[in-house]
Amino acid sequence: METETANRTPDRKYWLITLFIIILTLIMYYVVMTMLAPSKKMKSLKDEYGFKQDEKNKINDTIFKDSTYLALYRETSFLKARTAMAETDSICLAMNLADSGVTLEISGVAVARTKLIRFTSSKMFHDRNAYFISSMLSRPFTIQRNIASIPKEPLMIKMAPKDTSEYEPDITPDTADYEPVNYIMEMDNGTVVYVYQEEKLNLGDGLHRFFFDLRYRIHDAWRTMKSVFTFRIPDYHPFIKVRLPRADAKIIFRALPEHGQIAVYR
Amino acid sequence: MGNDIITDNKKPSDTWQKVAKWLLIPLLLISFFVFFVYIIPALQRIPAGSETVVINSARLKKDPAYRKQIAQLNRDLQRLSKRYNSYTSGQSYLVINTTDNLFYLYRNKKLVREGHCSTGSFKMLKTEEGRSWIFKTPKGKWTIQGKQTNPVWTRPDWSYVEEGLPIPSMDDPSRYEPNVLGDYKLMLGEGYMIHGTIYKRFLGMPVTHGCVRLNDEDLKAIFNTLSIGSKVYIF
Repeated sequence: METETANRTPDRKYWLITLFIIILTLIMYYVVMTMLAPSKKMKSLKDEYGFKQDEKNKINDTIFKDSTYLALYRETSFLKARTAMAETDSICLAMNLADSGVTLEISGVAVARTKLIRFTSSKMFHDRNAYFISSMLSRPFTIQRNIASIPKEPLMIKMAPKDTSEYEPDITPDTADYEPVNYIMEMDNGTVVYVYQEEKLNLGDGLHRFFFDLRYRIHDAWRTMKSVFTFRIPDYHPFIKVRLPRADAKIIFRALPEHGQIAVYR
Repeated sequence: MGNDIITDNKKPSDTWQKVAKWLLIPLLLISFFVFFVYIIPALQRIPAGSETVVINSARLKKDPAYRKQIAQLNRDLQRLSKRYNSYTSGQSYLVINTTDNLFYLYRNKKLVREGHCSTGSFKMLKTEEGRSWIFKTPKGKWTIQGKQTNPVWTRPDWSYVEEGLPIPSMDDPSRYEPNVLGDYKLMLGEGYMIHGTIYKRFLGMPVTHGCVRLNDEDLKAIFNTLSIGSKVYIF
């Protein structure tokens, strides 16, 4: 018995150390790949939206660092995006992160306004002077997918009565609604916009937001893992997380079409 | 007895080892979970590159190419602002909020009246034969296509189906009901209207079959303010 134990212990240690090294290597590999993702995204955005020099009429690059130029360019980009949205005849959202204003618009007419209570965003949106970011924001984002805690259209199915004896007139509808309003919109350019209700009206609201957020984080982590373990740099999704009053968050979600558009100013 | 004493001496350390072993696995799993779900996204937020360095050089501002670019941007901005402002009409228009069942009447870009209305109930009426209707107020930009005083309601098929009544022919006299739409109606097209109601207690609630219901005073004010061609924005 003693001999067996003595033989097994170094083996076990060896295996444990090997396992530890393998796990550590995998974690390191995972960290490196995921840390490369934002740079890859930044590079692809720069390639797509960065300034392209015209060989015939070369422009001095320093102009894109000038404060006056950049301020004017930011304004122009936002207006360009809003004008493009106005021409679609659809319900759109203009989000001004600089003054925390959010406006719901139909054909360029502001139909509802609210204020962001707070927001956070990816670092790349923090660099408000980056030419390529302003250039990217000159086109409205289009919603590709909605993940929400409330339905877009709260449809209720009612079967028609067979005859008058089965008919029951509608009683006063129950307009009290308690569901928390949290939703995530994945945009066509890879940006993800999170809208969470600010108030905690019920005991479970905070918990609901936590689990709602967690579910999406798990989904995102799974997507990243699939990319990393198939030897690809994962896609990085820049984000804008905003907190709105519940009523306004609900109005915006219900008003925006499934593939609605959003213009962002920062 | 001797064996008993030995077992008693070993017991606490064995138990702790077992507890530690059992705790290690869930702790490791939780750590991995937190690492992949929270720490990695947080690490990704650490900026990889430096932010754009903004300059304010007097020499650059004298450069003709720079001046040309700034002038071009100013022209673009003016053109876009003018175009964008032209979208908001100086004429009267109505805004309907279907989530909260509220309306806002604007004249010369100023809010002149607001109040409660009733919009679509979001009910889907289904028959055993497979016919169905969805009672929702359509969103978007609409235009007033017609106005009428003392309107008579032409009951559509769903109104009979909803009450379990047989559907009569299109010219059946039972189809025509006066005094249920209030004193005025404004037609939006596709069968949708803005009209009055006899169910005033339901104003502010989503109860209609798609039309917008208003109380008598608000309806009168809107009827007198909006003309054919005026815009109605529903969201």
